[in-house]
This record gives sequence, C-alpha cells and structure tokens, in this order.
Amino acid sequence: MRYKRGRMAWIPMAVGLLLLVTIGGCAVIRIRAESQGTVLHFGMIAGSYWGVPTGNCYEVIDAAIRRFEEKHPGVRVEYTSGILKEDYPEWLSEQILLGKEPDVFMIPEGELDILASLGILKRLEPLIQKDESFESEAYYQGAYRYGNIRDAQYALPYESVPTLMFVNKTLLDQEGIAMPGEVWTWDDFLSLCSQVTRDTDGDGVTDQFGCFDYGWQEAVASNGVSLFEKDGTLCYFADSRVDAAIRFIRELNRINGGYTVTAREFDQGKVAFRPFAFSEYRTYKPYPWRIKKYSDFEWDCVRLPAGPDGKGQSRLDTLLMGISSRSRQEHLAWEFLKELCYEEETQIHLLEVSQGMPALRRAVESPLLKQVLGNDIPGSGNMDVDIIRQVMEEAVETPGFRQYPAVISQADSVIQGIISGEISIDSGLLKLQREINGVLRQ
Amino acid sequence: MSRERVITNLQQAVYLLNFVVVCLVAGSMTLSIFRIVDAMNAEAFLSLIQVRPWRPWTILVMSVAGYLYLVLCSCLGQFWEDKGRYVRFLITFWEMVLCIGTTVAMNMNYDGLVLLVVADLVRGQKGSRQKLILGIAVVGLYTIVNYNLIGPYFNMIPWDVFLTAYRASTQAFLRGSLSVLSSMNLVLFILYMTMLIQDEYQERERIQNLNEQLAQANQKLKEYAAEAEKNAEIRERNRLAREIHDTLGHSLTGIVAGIDACLTMLDISPEATKKQLVKIGDVARQGMTDVRRSVRKLRPDALEKLDLEEAVVKMLRDTQAASGARIHFQNQAGSLKFHEDEEEVLYRVVQEATTNAIRHGHAGEIWISISMAEQWLTIHVKDNGTGCEHVTEGFGLKHMQERLNLLEGTLEYGNQEGFFIIARIPIRWGEEHS
Repeated sequence: MRYKRGRMAWIPMAVGLLLLVTIGGCAVIRIRAESQGTVLHFGMIAGSYWGVPTGNCYEVIDAAIRRFEEKHPGVRVEYTSGILKEDYPEWLSEQILLGKEPDVFMIPEGELDILASLGILKRLEPLIQKDESFESEAYYQGAYRYGNIRDAQYALPYESVPTLMFVNKTLLDQEGIAMPGEVWTWDDFLSLCSQVTRDTDGDGVTDQFGCFDYGWQEAVASNGVSLFEKDGTLCYFADSRVDAAIRFIRELNRINGGYTVTAREFDQGKVAFRPFAFSEYRTYKPYPWRIKKYSDFEWDCVRLPAGPDGKGQSRLDTLLMGISSRSRQEHLAWEFLKELCYEEETQIHLLEVSQGMPALRRAVESPLLKQVLGNDIPGSGNMDVDIIRQVMEEAVETPGFRQYPAVISQADSVIQGIISGEISIDSGLLKLQREINGVLRQ
Repeated sequence: MSRERVITNLQQAVYLLNFVVVCLVAGSMTLSIFRIVDAMNAEAFLSLIQVRPWRPWTILVMSVAGYLYLVLCSCLGQFWEDKGRYVRFLITFWEMVLCIGTTVAMNMNYDGLVLLVVADLVRGQKGSRQKLILGIAVVGLYTIVNYNLIGPYFNMIPWDVFLTAYRASTQAFLRGSLSVLSSMNLVLFILYMTMLIQDEYQERERIQNLNEQLAQANQKLKEYAAEAEKNAEIRERNRLAREIHDTLGHSLTGIVAGIDACLTMLDISPEATKKQLVKIGDVARQGMTDVRRSVRKLRPDALEKLDLEEAVVKMLRDTQAASGARIHFQNQAGSLKFHEDEEEVLYRVVQEATTNAIRHGHAGEIWISISMAEQWLTIHVKDNGTGCEHVTEGFGLKHMQERLNLLEGTLEYGNQEGFFIIARIPIRWGEEHS
C-alpha cells in the first residue's frame, strides 16, 4: 500500500503517545505501590483448623506479626480475619483469580498438590539453599515431608496433629485390665478387645465394646505400609501387609459380633479404644471442655497398636503454609514464613495455646511440653511426652496428590466390601490395585 | 474512489474490526473472572481450568495494549517501507512478537491477528527466497497461535470456560458475535489480499510494457548508429575522392598536358621542351607535396600532434583505463624518431597487438617492449591471456603483416603462456638524420 507521507505523519506521534501512556501507567502503579509502604499479606483460617473449639485464634499470629514487624521496621503485615475453615478454599481461590493472593498463606487441607501444580506456590528450595540459618532437620520429618510434592518442597509445616489411641481408663480399671504398654501389638489389641466386649447388664445384648472408629486405614498405617507412591503414580493395595491389615480388621469386627459401634456408645463410656486426633485430646482433656464431653470416665492416650510388620505408625495431619509465586517481596515473605513456622518462640507459643503440635523439634522437646500437658490435666493421668515425640517422628503423612480423595474413597468402598466378606480378599485387592493404578495413570 | 483509497480503507477496517474482537474476547474474559468471584465459584473454576489465569485487568490491558502496538508496528512498517531490509526485518520481527504476545494474552482464543501480520508480510515480500520465508512464517505463526494445536500445552484457558460465568443467552450472543466478527475478518483479509495481488499484477504489467518500449527504442538507436556510420564512410570517401581529384588529378592533368606539349615541341624546340619538362617536374613535385599533405590528414590524431613515444604512451594509457588490463611499456630503443610511415606502422602494430590481447586473449596483463639492434627495430608484445590454439589470421594480424611488408619488415607470433607478437622493421638510417 503506498500511502502518502503527509497522511502518515500521525504514526510517529501515535507511537510516542502510546509509549508515553505505557511508561506513565507503569510509573503511576509503581508510585502507588511505594506510597503504601511495604505491606506483606497473610492468609489465614479463623477458628481451629482441627475442627475443635478454640479461644483466640489470632493470638499466636498477632504475636508473631508483632515480632516480625519489630525485626523489619517499615514492613506491615496484614491479614483478613474471620474466614472460617470451610470458606477458606473459596476465599483463597477468589484471591488467586483476582491476582490478589496473600504473600504467605495457610494451605487448605488436601490442596497442596493443586496449588503447586497451578504454579501458585513458590518452590522453597532456592530460598532454603540461600538461607544458611534454615535446616530442614529441625522439623519432624513426617511433618516436613507433608509439604513436599513430587520431590519439590512447596510449604513448611506450621502445626501438626498426630493420631493417638484413646483409652477409656475407667473401663479398663473396671475390667481389671492394665493400660497397654508403650509397645503393643495387634494381638494385644485383639485380646484386650475380646476381653472387654461383653454384656454387662445381662439383658442378652452386648453393651460394652472394644473399639470404635478403628478402620482399615489405621491398620494399614500401623503395619508400616504406604499405600501410594509419593508422587501418586502407583499404589500398593496388593501388598501382603495390606492383606494382613484387612484380615485383622475382619477379626476385630468378628469380636463385635457384627454390631456397629456408634459415637454415642463411646461418649457414654462403653467403648475401650478409639483412634483420636491429638487436637481433641488437647481440647477435651482440660477444663472447661472436659465437662462437655467424656466427663463420665477417666481417659488417656497411647500409641496405636503395631502390626506384625509395622511399629504402630499413625496418621499425621499437618497445617502447611506457603509463599505465593507472584509475591513481590520474596525475601520478606520467606522471613515471615520462617517467623511463623521456624521461629521457636512462635512454635512454643503455639504449643501453649493451640490444640495442635508444633512441627519443630526444638519446640516439642522443650521442657514446656511436659509442663503444658501437665497443666492441662488436673490430677488425673499423665501423658507421656515420649509417645508424642515418637508418633511425630514416625507418622505417616496423608498423601497430597490430586486424585487422592477420589481414589481413597473408591478404595474404601471396595475394601468395606472385602471386610464384610462380599468380595474375595485376594482377587479383590489385586483388582483394586489394577483399577486404582489405571486411575492414577490418567 | 481510487484503488489505493479502497485498499487503505480496507486495511483500516481490518484494524478496527480486530480491535473490536480483541476488546470482546479480552473484555469478556476479564469480566467473567469478576463474575465468577461474585458468584463464589472461584474454587470450582480453578479446579476446572487447572491453571492459574492472569490477573483480570492484566488480561484486558495486555491484550489491548499489545494489539495497539501491533497496529502501530504495522503502520510504521508502511511509513518506513523504503528504509531498507534491516528496518523491515526488525519491524516484521516485532509484529510477530506482538501478534504472539497479544494472542497469548487472550489465551489463544482468537487467531485472527495472524491474518493482519500475514497481510503485512505479503505486502513487504520481494523475491522467491522471501516467499519461502513468508510461507514458513505464516505456517509457524498459525501453529503458535492456534489454541487447538498447542494451547493445552501452554496452560491456555479456552474461552468457553470463561463463558460459563455468563447466562446461556449471553454466552450464545458472545459466541455468535465472535464467530461473525472472525468471518468478517477473514472476508476483509481475502478482499485485501485480492486487491494487493491485483495491484502487484498491474505493476508487473506496467513494468513489462516499459521494458518493451525500451527495447524498441534501443533497436532504433542501433539502426541510427549503423546509418550514421555509413554516412560517415560515404562522407570520408567523397572527401578522399575530392582530395585525390583536387591534388593528384590536378597535378596529373597538368603533367599529362605538359608531356603532350613536350612531345609536339620536342622536334621544333628542344630548348622550350626542356623548360617545359622542368615545369612538369615542378608540377609533379607540387603534386607529391599535396599527396603528402592529404595523407597526413589521414594519420592518427595523436601522431599528428605528439611525437611517437608520447603518442604510444597516451594510447596505452587510454586502453588501460578503458579495459582495466595492466599494460607495461618499456622503450629500450632510445629516442623514437623515424619516418612518418615507419612511425605509423609502429604505432599501428602496438595498437593492434594490444587490442588483440584484450579482445581475443582476455589478458589481464600485457608487456610491450621496443628495442633496437643495428638497423632493426623490434616490437615485442606479450600477454598473460588465454592465447590462441589455432592462430587464424584475423583481420588484425593480416593488416599488421601488410603494413610491415610495405616496409620490408617481418612478423612472428605464437603461444607462450599467453600470446606473443614480435615485429621487426628495418629502419632507414640515412634518411633519419636528413
């Protein structure tokens, strides 16, 4: 096209104007950002992450923010308060869509994989390598591995909740049975259950039971099996140890004579054992919540019974925190994340007021733990600190890969069928493994 | 409306249309994110798309800004059409970058911008090699910006997913609008290309016409030149005839008449006859002088004005300048002062030998030496040209031979890493010093 020069004279002017507007726009955004000072945004869940009643959920965070702001003058940390656990994933997703996700935030349960694969979480290795004061060995490895997806660390553990075995001491005392020792096995568990399972009032109906809520997943974990490859590409349902765990569950159910124990019976003190999250122990053991629940009997916690090939490992849930990959203040965000997850002061504070367990060894192993646990329990039985340590160390983390919830519910329905005897155990597990592997490959 | 004007308007329409599409696609994406957040569907949306979209305003601003820059680049390309290859290459490169950037900003949900770049590419291309590059560029661009082909590998989000944020009727309207606008864009593009190609075709036809005219003019010019040469020859012949008639004719007539008179008078008065014969002798001598004068007029100009050595050097210098061959001239014979006929033969031999070496031997270097031994003057001309396998006595050599024969000279020639000529002329010493 052969334009006349005169008619085209506007082009250089337009280029200049557009460049000017672009530069001006950038400058305005920059100046506005600077006039606000350095602000670090933090995303947190209000109330308890562990689903138990809690007091002031902001106490630990506020204290940590105060300390952080003192260490870094001119930096403010802001957070949106009042987002409950059930609203948090939606709130976080909205912030991500709007491009306003916080620099540091709590990771909703089971969403580590999706957040990591969406590229929302920053990989922490480069920061960890640069930071000489940081050592991953400072954490209980079960909790630390929780923030690891496909060999990449995306998050640090803030607090953890191990699963313990709740024991109704009153019931055992009535039956004249001693508390299980530090190491006890499935066989011990079976024999204790069969001892306590009986009809107490003589009406011909069994009204006292061995255990409640102990399922195949607990048995598999305590037998030392990981059902899935860490990256979620393979599963091992056909493992002989899984087989043993399921046969053990069948055995347990046989003792109950086919009766399904409910939470009501447990609350009434008619059940001897129940796997229990540590957070509930912390919540209901001390006053005032003690009155509300489980007030009719003395109770305590021990490790889960060990399977023939395991050490009695149990599930560990961990609250993770990560850094947004779009954070403009990468260094500050890392420092703040460390203030929350790596600073002894914060973690000990957590031990004092929260229902979870710090993931940091230094905090757990401080003399405070014993004191806190002792204070919590007026008079009655004492919890062995070593149990907590061991459980934390050996705990099995819940797999974080994306398909896990779907896959585990599919497996659960099949295995329930196996337990009830509808499906043959050998062929059923093999078929399940094949099916699940097929799903995982997609 | 002139053709140019139509093409200009078409292009402006393409620019405007694409602007509307960019605003429509990017705007609907931006708005849909806000709607999703308002409807509290963010979590479901994120798990559906499995990638993190750009910030809502970033999508719109980047798309529109990218597109505006693309249009400006395209205009700049026309503004600087004649600025040379590198400027054009640079602008084309940026156009492609901006096209890809804008398309990516729109999550590859509109690939019509490629047509805009392709139109500019076609307009700027010249030569068959560039056609190949153009073809590769077009295919490459289309591949890059086509969602179906590579979108899923680059975390691009399909437009349909964004559209789920709207009511069904709005979705249908938006989809329909995009489809209509895309088709319009395609139609305008095809129209534009047709006009461009027609334009080019007409241009080519015009050039072909001009070429033909030029060839005709050339032919005429050649004819004129031939005619002029012929005229000059005729004129020269007439001059020679006149000259001969005026000088030799005049003298011979006088001599014939005088001798006739002598024959009649011889017996009557031998004295008078003697006087008459003396007169006849004068006339003959006068005729001789006239002939010499005429001949001198036919000699080379240079020889007329300069002495022989200067004339030869000048001639060689001119030849060297005209042909580009390097000519080395060496005079070992001292002062070159001979009879006019000898000088002319020497001059002609050197001239002819040099011309032959350049014309037939394609020589790059020519060595010429003139030496004297006893009464023999030797001219040695040698070149580094291709030589001559079978020496056919062309015009030049034959002429040379004839000229030398007149002076009882000799000529040798042959191949020896090129071609060489040795001409010998016996010098009439006695007369030299007279």
